[in-house]
Amino acid sequence: MSIINYASREIQFKIVYYGPALCGKTTNLAYIHERISPSNRGDLVSLATAADRTLFFDFLPLNAVVIKGFVTKFQLYTVPGQVIYNATRQLVLRSVDGVVFVADSQWEKMEENVESFRNLEENLAQQNISIDEIPYVLQYNKRDLGNIAPVNYLEFLLNNRKKRVQSFEVISSTGQNVFSSLNAVSQMLLHKFSKGDAAPAAAPPPVAVPVEPSVPKIATPSRV
Amino acid sequence: MNSIPALTIENVASLDNILGDFLKKADADLVVVIDRGGNAISQFGDVSVMDVTIIAALAAGSFAATKELARRIGEVEFNALYHQGNGSHIFMNSVDDDTIMITVFGLRTTVGLVRFYSAATAQAVSKLLKSLDPNAGHGFSFNASDITAAPIFADR
Repeated sequence: MSIINYASREIQFKIVYYGPALCGKTTNLAYIHERISPSNRGDLVSLATAADRTLFFDFLPLNAVVIKGFVTKFQLYTVPGQVIYNATRQLVLRSVDGVVFVADSQWEKMEENVESFRNLEENLAQQNISIDEIPYVLQYNKRDLGNIAPVNYLEFLLNNRKKRVQSFEVISSTGQNVFSSLNAVSQMLLHKFSKGDAAPAAAPPPVAVPVEPSVPKIATPSRV
Repeated sequence: MNSIPALTIENVASLDNILGDFLKKADADLVVVIDRGGNAISQFGDVSVMDVTIIAALAAGSFAATKELARRIGEVEFNALYHQGNGSHIFMNSVDDDTIMITVFGLRTTVGLVRFYSAATAQAVSKLLKSLDPNAGHGFSFNASDITAAPIFADR
């Protein structure tokens, strides 16, 4: 739920990075924090255990574009991926405006990816939000590892709904496509918000898996 | 969760009046009204020394984290939380089902005074927020063409 403040001329949006344990959600935020201009970001707050596992959430506030004199502010959150922390995930999802679902591309993580996506759907449903209504993109992370599933298999598992969404091959540790996916979900969010006042409908985002030249393309996604 | 409508300049001025009056009476440094999702709705006082956005996110988390603790002793949630420091303290109290008020204060005042005045302030804030028309929409509009096609965030 976006918040508009006419006095400070700000619009606030909340984007949550969701996915199974150790899939790279915190790494996404750490890369964005490191690479974005300091004038456009606040501190990265990380509530982690001694072993660097996210205990509560990570939080990164960003300032973005000005639209009609209003500064858009995006608040990025991660959730703890470990199964037992579902209550925390429900809390972090409160008032969410957009989601980046981070999937782990390794073969052995497929079940956890699917389970986490189902968990996202369930937790959104608790807030009376359908996954089909909320702007979200998919990240297929860890594309630099050896034992990874092809993109079309990940598409079949996670992007096989009536409404397909943008998906990205990501290497969060080097930053590959980290900003592309953040920009994609931010654009979707702003377009949805503009539609809220019956503005001309924006073109739906293309279903695509952008790949930068440095990473070999595994397979072309196909509709299954 | 009920959505909080957009705050117009008039709404913010009314909130500021309530919060300013509270700060003066309680002799606190800063008061922030947030939603339970961690978004700051309004703030009043010395905001230069801390990032209100981060305070709001962490306070919402802190408030929610104690809910289970409250449930174990037969409560739905704790209505107020107090974090005591050496020189600076934070007092948080529930305004309504969607909103929390955070007060940061120092050695000039006491938690009792803050707690006393915060109760009436929370009621006044709740009344004001309830008086806003939830169907009024956000009143701010822009077209899709107003959104830049360029990447919103740039990788340096």
